[in-house]
Amino acid sequence: MKLGRYLIDQYLSILLIFFSYFMTLLLLLVFNVNISLIFAITFIFFMTQILLLGINFVRKKRFYDELICNIELLDQKYLVLETIAKPGFYEGKIFYHCLYEIDKSMSENVLKSRKDIEDFKEYIEMWIHEVKLPISSLMLLCHNYKSKLNKTFLEQVRKLDNYIDQVLYYVRSNYTEEDFVIKKVSLEKVVSQVLIKNKDDLLESKINLEVDLKNIEVYSDMKWLEFILNQIINNSMKYRNEKRNSYIKIFAEVQSDQIILSIVDNGIGIPKRDLNQVCKKTFTGENGRDKTKSTGMGLYIVDKLCKKMGHILEISSIHHESTTVKIIFGNNNFYHVEK
Amino acid sequence: MKKIMIVEDDATICKELKNLLENSGYIVDILNNFSNSLEEIINSHVDLVLLDINIPFLNGEVLLKEIRKKTNIPVIMVTSRVSELDEVLSMSYGADDYITKPYNPTILLLRIQNVLKRMEQKTDSYKYRDLEFFPSKGILKKDEEEIELTKNEMIIFSYLLNNQGNIITRDDLMTDLWNNEEYINDNALTVNISRLRKKLSEVGCYDAIETRKGQGYILL
Repeated sequence: MKLGRYLIDQYLSILLIFFSYFMTLLLLLVFNVNISLIFAITFIFFMTQILLLGINFVRKKRFYDELICNIELLDQKYLVLETIAKPGFYEGKIFYHCLYEIDKSMSENVLKSRKDIEDFKEYIEMWIHEVKLPISSLMLLCHNYKSKLNKTFLEQVRKLDNYIDQVLYYVRSNYTEEDFVIKKVSLEKVVSQVLIKNKDDLLESKINLEVDLKNIEVYSDMKWLEFILNQIINNSMKYRNEKRNSYIKIFAEVQSDQIILSIVDNGIGIPKRDLNQVCKKTFTGENGRDKTKSTGMGLYIVDKLCKKMGHILEISSIHHESTTVKIIFGNNNFYHVEK
Repeated sequence: MKKIMIVEDDATICKELKNLLENSGYIVDILNNFSNSLEEIINSHVDLVLLDINIPFLNGEVLLKEIRKKTNIPVIMVTSRVSELDEVLSMSYGADDYITKPYNPTILLLRIQNVLKRMEQKTDSYKYRDLEFFPSKGILKKDEEEIELTKNEMIIFSYLLNNQGNIITRDDLMTDLWNNEEYINDNALTVNISRLRKKLSEVGCYDAIETRKGQGYILL
């Protein structure tokens, strides 16, 4: 709160002060009062007025300065009311009370929205579990009547399953904090599950696999990691270069304080200008538009899940040559405290 | 023959699962009365239970806990819930394995096979004709003559031996190989089969593996 601005704001009072002073002065002069008395009266008059203005200014300044300063310092501005002292002056009390009411009604609203989202999320999760039942039936049917059914049938069912998983993990990555369990996960096991899931497509598209994971274990959530790898490997298959022998190499290396899992393919790669944006929500880029229709959600969700679990996702690529996706897991004493 | 009980409330899945398991040579029992599931399971004297988590009356996890108080029968949990927590819980309640829907049918069969095998007395050698087979060492033995099998050949031979007399599709073999972290392609499978044949005939087992055109292989 600045003094100058405050005085300008109080211009009416100041004008009135001067007005009343000049009127008094006029009267004093008219009644021919002694000059030293006039000086004394002037001194007392201005002293009290200045003091009055000053006291008012200081009271307000104390309150508003604290308010402004705390707002600036706070991360979540709406919490400011909790940090300031209740003001002593009337205006301030009104203001404080209003703020309190506003805060309260906002909290109620936020709570309601949160509950709505939570309900919606619960419904979606429930729905996904329900919809997995018919999908399981379809997969069993596909297996039992293999000879009678076209191969594309199973392929479509699997696609359906993938898309549904995407929704599930989107919901999980956005609306919940404690949905995952970090524990020791064998990379070999996760990778093998993902590869088996995509076995038919991998064989169909004649992709050679080189897997070298050397019994390495990382700290992560098995299910989430499975989803992450499934998305990455599906991308590798989707954006393969049909003109050459495709491969996907999956290997891991342990460094002093981190474990790096790399998935390398020799697909069509990602243009340089798209590289920074592939993890953005609904970004499709050149490849997404040209080759197959893409929703732009896969890598966005992958990136989010990685961040939640504290892994780092790194994507590099040489356009028309290769793409490397790295997932970096922490590997220091901090992670070895279980038991 | 092994008897498996399916505890699952979705009729279509039940029917298809029964189909799948019967085709693979198991006797299948379906639990119909969920209000008394615990007694039914215990009195059925089956070799393995496929237990769904979402079933009426008693939830699967609770049911599993109750089963464990009474008997040691192998249980594989089946669920459509995809969270690590459910898996950890089920395992801590004493499930022998855990599989999420939708599952790959071949993988389900493999898991069942593994759990059943674990229950049997541990034998480290199997007999085939006049051969002895040591899967842990990857060795085929005839009298004093030993033949070493590569990892791939061993996985294929084990699978064929476990299902001796049944037709095994290439897809099944491939799934088993991939399940054991051997990610080979179609050509490599053909090569491995013919190498295995050659090795078998070296110890006098001619025509052990027969090709059924369009269907798969069969170990005679």
